[in-house]
Amino acid sequence: MNKKIKASAAIVAAIALSFGAFATTSASAATKTFTLAYQGPLSGGEASTGIDEQNGVKYAIKVFEAANPGYKINLVSVDDEGDPAVASKVAPGVGTNTKIIGLIGPAYSGATIASLPYYKAGNLTVISPSATRVSLTDPKSPTAKSDYGRPIFHRVVATDDKQGPALAKFATAGNTAAKVFVFDDQSSYAVPLRGYVEAALKNVKGATLVGGDSVPNTTTDFSPTIAKIKSAGANVVIYTGYYSQAAVFVKQLRDSGSTATFAGGDGVFNQQFAVLAGKAGEGAKLTGVAGLADVDPKIEADFKAKIGVSSGVYAVESIDAANIFLSGIKNGKTTRAAMNKWVKSYNFKGIAGANIKFNQHGDISEGGFAGFLVTGGTLVNKGPVA
Amino acid sequence: MFTVFIDQFWQLTISGIALGFIYVLIALGYTMVYGVLRMINFANSEIFMWGTFGAIVASRDLFGYNQTSEPAHGAKLALVLFIQLFASMAFAGLTAVTVEFVAYRRLRAKGTNRLATLISAIGMSMVLSEVMRLLTASRPVGSPRILEKVILVEVWGAQIRLDTLITIMAAGAIFIILERFVKLSRMGKAIRAVSMNEDAAKLMGINLNRVITTTFLVGGLATGAAGFFYITVYEYTKFNIGFTMGLAAFTAAVIGGIGNIRGAFFGGVSLGLAEVYASAILGTQWKSVTIFIVLVLVLLFKPSGLFGEAVTQTRA
Repeated sequence: MNKKIKASAAIVAAIALSFGAFATTSASAATKTFTLAYQGPLSGGEASTGIDEQNGVKYAIKVFEAANPGYKINLVSVDDEGDPAVASKVAPGVGTNTKIIGLIGPAYSGATIASLPYYKAGNLTVISPSATRVSLTDPKSPTAKSDYGRPIFHRVVATDDKQGPALAKFATAGNTAAKVFVFDDQSSYAVPLRGYVEAALKNVKGATLVGGDSVPNTTTDFSPTIAKIKSAGANVVIYTGYYSQAAVFVKQLRDSGSTATFAGGDGVFNQQFAVLAGKAGEGAKLTGVAGLADVDPKIEADFKAKIGVSSGVYAVESIDAANIFLSGIKNGKTTRAAMNKWVKSYNFKGIAGANIKFNQHGDISEGGFAGFLVTGGTLVNKGPVA
Repeated sequence: MFTVFIDQFWQLTISGIALGFIYVLIALGYTMVYGVLRMINFANSEIFMWGTFGAIVASRDLFGYNQTSEPAHGAKLALVLFIQLFASMAFAGLTAVTVEFVAYRRLRAKGTNRLATLISAIGMSMVLSEVMRLLTASRPVGSPRILEKVILVEVWGAQIRLDTLITIMAAGAIFIILERFVKLSRMGKAIRAVSMNEDAAKLMGINLNRVITTTFLVGGLATGAAGFFYITVYEYTKFNIGFTMGLAAFTAAVIGGIGNIRGAFFGGVSLGLAEVYASAILGTQWKSVTIFIVLVLVLLFKPSGLFGEAVTQTRA
């Protein structure tokens, strides 16, 4: 009931968690043992994303260990619940644990911003598979002071300013008179993305922006938003938040009799969206990055054999990010400083075929978004949205 | 700014009333306990959350429905819904009684001050939500669709849907039953007697512990029923939904005058309406702000809430 009490409960949970996490690092005593970390939501409402990503990292480590006998990689799980408040409590411990020479993550932009000060202080290089907020790599953004991640922040995912146009285009494709309603969940991911989508809609022929809303991510009753959609006569509805709310919303939208196209970004791009939304989710258009099965079914089969479950969203990015650190370890970059230099000069092909090379701000130059259509309860890849 | 409001007024009103009736039932849970103990049961929000899971356990595990199954029809539909309602109420009722036993009774017996039970109730609320978090691996749980959401009629552009209609009618009926129970039954009289003067009630031979447990049970049953309606309308729950819903219902109870059953009714319905109207007029981001401005204004002009006189008279 009480927010403060809930917050202090989170502190206790975070401390307990970090102790649990670090207990694993000192366990092994093999000759060549190195420690990497994964940070993302491993519990909480967004846990599905984090668990999927961490599985990708685990897979990359298994493949690396099999190919390089004598190396043992410890993976520290850092659970930030995708929540900046939790991240700012777990990050200090990670920043000062110098055994960790590289961190894959954080998964979400808000949690990344909260963690950055501690990782900068510890010169811990991070490569995020999925934090897409533009300001993380933009020294000119109004919030650059807190958000800009140089020299430690890198990401192997394209940014929201590239996703905005892709989402606007894909959502309105095949609709010559698209009347678009865009709304966000007030998170630090969704609000800027909504801005990029709205800006990009101006360049989409035949599309007009007819309205918008900003809905707290604890909302379960969307009737006021649906009233606005109907009042505006929208035939395309774009939600820039995350999948669990999107599923609740799209059910209510369909129950109200609306047949407007529903579209979402990579926050909604999750198999759980299709599961939770059921029939109401059919035909939803989502932008995201191609999954492992799309890239190479053979790797996907191997993944399933080694990890025990199918790969999830951001598997490709997570594997790529882990591989950058693993190749660094193989090349003797075993301190945080050496690893940072290695990542800065990295230039190899990722598993999806695009070249991975970071610019001075930590962004990759290649790679982009694909469009997915929810069909028969699964997300079907409709190819890149250029 | 007002175009949506005018354009969709009746639709918004119906949605607001349906949401308001769910608040009414949760608010009853707060108000019943407050009426008797003069204490807020902070675990009520989590009792609600457990109630929502009761409905899902019934439909998913007892009847084997899943996300892709077809909705039920006819007698089967009535049966499943009834069992779901029963399961929600049973889950929540049992949870409420457990809360009373663990967090209230023992401390009361030792004669601790009121703040101690307040804290132990908050503790219980954290335990209840964490246990559910672990049981569900922190994931949102979708409910299978049992009731097909047929649009029955459209009046003035407002759709009257089967689930909204059932929620409003059944929640209204449950409210009336509880209100009559407290007003007319022997146990109800005992509850009111304890509420007015605990010592005098004891001297009249009323079993205090039994009255308090019953109060928790009745409040829990109402809150559990709210959980069932919530699941039927929104088909979604999560270990942490109690906080938002509980806070809103608690606000409703305070607006109506906490401790007063009719107050909970008017508080709940007006809060539901205020939420959807504010969201439509100002944008959903202003929803919470508007609600708390309304709360402050009500308390400013009527510190005991809209229906709150009885409480201040019985205890100064």
